Amino acid sequence: MEAVHRRRGAAAPRLIRILPLLLTLLGGCGGSEEPETAAPAPAFWFVDIAVQAGVTAPTWCGRPEKPHLLESNGTGLALVDVDADGVLDLYLVNGWRLEGAEVVERGRNVLYRGRGDGTFEDVTARAGIGDDGWGSGIAAGDGDGDGDVDLFVTNFGPDVLYLNRGDGTFDRAPDPPGIDGWSAGAALFDADRDGDLDLFVAGYVECTLEEVLHAEPTLDWEGMKVMLGPFGLEGEANRYFVNEGGGHFREATEESGLVDVGLFYSFAVAAIDFDADLDLDLYVANDSNPNYLYRNDGQGHFQEIGLWSGAALSADGAAQAGMGIATGDVDLDGRVDLFVTNFAHDTSTLYVNEGGCLFTDATLDSNLRAATYLPLSWGATLGDFDHDGRLDLFVANGHIYPQAERVPDAAGGYGQRNLLFHGEDGRFTEVGAGSGPGLAVQLSSRGVAAGDIDSDGDLDLVVSNVDAPPTLLRNDTVPRGAWLAVDAPGALRVEVRLGGTRLVRHAVHGGSFLSVSDARFHFGLGPVEEIDELVVVWSDGERTRQAAVGVNQLVRVTRR
Amino acid sequence: MKTKLLAIGALVGALGLVAVPQETPKAMSATYGALADSILALKRTETSFVLALLEGHFQAARSHYEGGMGEMAAAEMALFASEGDNSIAGVRKRLLEGGHHHHADDEAKGVYEPGFVVVTKAAKEGALQASAAMRRAKTDAEREAAWKQFTAVAEPLLRG
Repeated sequence: MEAVHRRRGAAAPRLIRILPLLLTLLGGCGGSEEPETAAPAPAFWFVDIAVQAGVTAPTWCGRPEKPHLLESNGTGLALVDVDADGVLDLYLVNGWRLEGAEVVERGRNVLYRGRGDGTFEDVTARAGIGDDGWGSGIAAGDGDGDGDVDLFVTNFGPDVLYLNRGDGTFDRAPDPPGIDGWSAGAALFDADRDGDLDLFVAGYVECTLEEVLHAEPTLDWEGMKVMLGPFGLEGEANRYFVNEGGGHFREATEESGLVDVGLFYSFAVAAIDFDADLDLDLYVANDSNPNYLYRNDGQGHFQEIGLWSGAALSADGAAQAGMGIATGDVDLDGRVDLFVTNFAHDTSTLYVNEGGCLFTDATLDSNLRAATYLPLSWGATLGDFDHDGRLDLFVANGHIYPQAERVPDAAGGYGQRNLLFHGEDGRFTEVGAGSGPGLAVQLSSRGVAAGDIDSDGDLDLVVSNVDAPPTLLRNDTVPRGAWLAVDAPGALRVEVRLGGTRLVRHAVHGGSFLSVSDARFHFGLGPVEEIDELVVVWSDGERTRQAAVGVNQLVRVTRR
Repeated sequence: MKTKLLAIGALVGALGLVAVPQETPKAMSATYGALADSILALKRTETSFVLALLEGHFQAARSHYEGGMGEMAAAEMALFASEGDNSIAGVRKRLLEGGHHHHADDEAKGVYEPGFVVVTKAAKEGALQASAAMRRAKTDAEREAAWKQFTAVAEPLLRG
């Protein structure tokens, strides 16, 4: 176990991090970006620094009027350290721009190299990673087993596997796995516990470019004609590929049991050990259909148990429109819970894990019902943004119909405000409106990824927006405690023990909406100066333990 | 030329040289009637199939409950509520996409979810609540209460 470096934390907050508090105490004497003059400090403070950070590339998705469902999809992004310099880089997946029935721009994916101070440099050309397919989502992981991070990009069209040369430059795999159609979420994960990463790719809808180019809005909605779908369109089948080494994959959908039995419209996927039996299970959020939960038998064979697990439907038995997934232990019982985002005028759903792959819809009890009802929600992430020891929740929102601008509701129109919930013992309070100018942005957002882009120890957020550059939300929240980040590649979960409290973070492959967050395990710890014990749990059940670990640092743990 | 043709047509009609059909041939309506029998029989067969499927989940749930395996019973109860697992939901989706609604009118009234054949919306909710109660039950009394809650919903459906 190795302390990589210490960074600023609770003991030495930057001026900018306490600025909101100072402004509040001074009675709001600043400019337009200070918080309201209410006495208590805002729980969070996020500022959109995309332009000053140099992250300005727009991500396209069809025409402004969106006559085809594909144009509502948006694109994902990834916060991942591709050049192994210890600093997070940002990869944006890009779609195409259309005018009428013409393709006017094949948007290229963009790789921004992080400088570690919250600014980025476009290195796409140098890295050789600017695919110009109609992009959808992204998965990250060491696909060829050479110790670095490779990127798998899902497209409307053939998918792409970029193999890292080890220095942040890439070769295109000549015969990549994937779906030659509309693929959405994907996850690289060790399904069969043989030490390499296998691949699951979600398929959404079967359609052709010709159909997209010549689509007309035909569905009646609020007295207007809008895009058709997904009902009325054929689902694209999900596919699974087993890793055969060296970046080569073989399709094994049937033999693994990861069959798309309903040909549902699948979006986000998350591989995670839901039942704590040391293998990775797989959850798939399905639009307008029950969600899938595939339980792993430990050998890479899966049984689909969604409907009886309690994680496929809402509490009243309804199939919802699953879009994105966030995972984390929200009630501090050590088990990983599931938050699934859904369509507008329906709640997102929090499934609390009761153990043994059994879940209960706790949306109402957790106070998530009202705030999530109106918006159309996509990417989501659970993270401790204020270091109080409790997981908070960020949800990206945006409508699919541009026509929603003509019938706005409290959530907005086509552009909607993203939501930020403060978490406390399994209950959440939406505080986004008072949490800084970054949370006031109203665009049609889709993917979200969390990670520390400015090396100050807290979790920042990057959000993809349809037909606009991303929002880069620097976290300037006054921390309520210390933090710890643990880099433990291959670990299933990491536990921190503080007195009688146990905080658990679970490895997740995939999640959010078409996006990838930093894979390191991040803890907010509350006001402590030392951790009693750090425990890293590996997939064979072995544990690496370290007592009396200092806080406000990144610790690297490797398997001996 | 046109005038000549019209005159010939009128003459032929008046002489009854061409039989103008007054009704659909009997053989066709008889065939359509037989086809209707088959269509309606198919719908009845669909009901029978789903009832058999539900009976299977019900008996499995009973067996697990009586064997003291609450979680397994809860799983079968949930599958009863959903008229089968996600593979059946996939078939239901295909039928709906093809325009087949077993209870079109009652779906519109909110009595049934789209494509459901036997389990009403209210029954589904009740069975799912019973399943959740069974899963959470820690004592025999709680398990018994959950089972009673389930049978109160399920047995009337199985009786038809």
